[in-house]
Amino acid sequence: MMVVKKHPFHMVDMSPWPLSTSIGALVMTTGLVKWFNQFNINLLIIGLLITVISSFQWWRDISRESTYQGLHTKKVLSGMKLGMVLFIISEVFFFLSFFWAFFHSSLSPSVELGMQWPPMGIQPFNPMQIPLLNTIILLSSGVSVTYTHHSILEKTMTHSKKSLMLTVILGLYFSCLQALEYWEAPFSMADSVYGSTFFMATGFHGIHVIVGTTFLFISLIRLMKNHFSSYHHFGFEAAAWYWHFVDVVWLFLYINVYWWGA
Amino acid sequence: MADEVKIGTAPFDPRFPNQNQTKHCFTSFVDYKRCTKLRGEDYAPCKYFEKAYNSLCPNAWVEKWESQIEEGTFPTKI
Repeated sequence: MMVVKKHPFHMVDMSPWPLSTSIGALVMTTGLVKWFNQFNINLLIIGLLITVISSFQWWRDISRESTYQGLHTKKVLSGMKLGMVLFIISEVFFFLSFFWAFFHSSLSPSVELGMQWPPMGIQPFNPMQIPLLNTIILLSSGVSVTYTHHSILEKTMTHSKKSLMLTVILGLYFSCLQALEYWEAPFSMADSVYGSTFFMATGFHGIHVIVGTTFLFISLIRLMKNHFSSYHHFGFEAAAWYWHFVDVVWLFLYINVYWWGA
Repeated sequence: MADEVKIGTAPFDPRFPNQNQTKHCFTSFVDYKRCTKLRGEDYAPCKYFEKAYNSLCPNAWVEKWESQIEEGTFPTKI
């Protein structure tokens, strides 16, 4: 007798990935502490591997359940949309804390800093050089990813693949330029509260760029494998929302940390 | 009888309205140094800043800043 589901929700099958991903997160964060205190990255690398591999398998399973098994109904979709929105809101609060720290220290610099910002001896980046290029790159990538979305909606698949590829390339370009800036920076994280706030804020932003680029790249692969339809392509939409969020955070960083803060 | 000794402290500065007067002390100290650098040690109006920072600042801070100036590590330009 066939099993009949009399509701539109997805009761997920048993899976080892939530547990292994949690273990990975624990090992990763413990490894981070070990790196900071004992200058040893082994545990961190192991934790990263466990987390990344588990996440990959978990999300692969979700693609299988949705695209190949058809288990993602409209109700499931709306649940995931709400989930992504709430997640991004939580990330907004995460970055809010680093911006708070930045403004706390920079709006009324302490006497130890000579009551000036940037503190004496700090050579901030010229906001009109690479940071401006990075701003243009991210804004352009926002345009290209929107073009991708419209192409998917209008079923012009060649255009959607090309523009999504462009978006990924722009994301990689940003990461390379920012890595170069980090390498060539005349100040480090240890250089007073300026260095701390600068690298905490831009560093976490950089991690989010890498995550966002990866998410977009996976969407590109799924797009090329015809996983998406013109009316059901949430994997791509979530990646695009995340990418826009990353772009907005950069704009805040650029205006406040790079420009006003220099 | 000896002359009445005038007792006073730094006047109210609306730039520093709160209880924590650290920045008032530091600003007065820096202003004194910049004043005397620009106008010379004997320029009388600089005395205003001198009186202010002497009233407001803990002596230990003044000593520390003076030695920073000597070492060239004072955190702001004079």
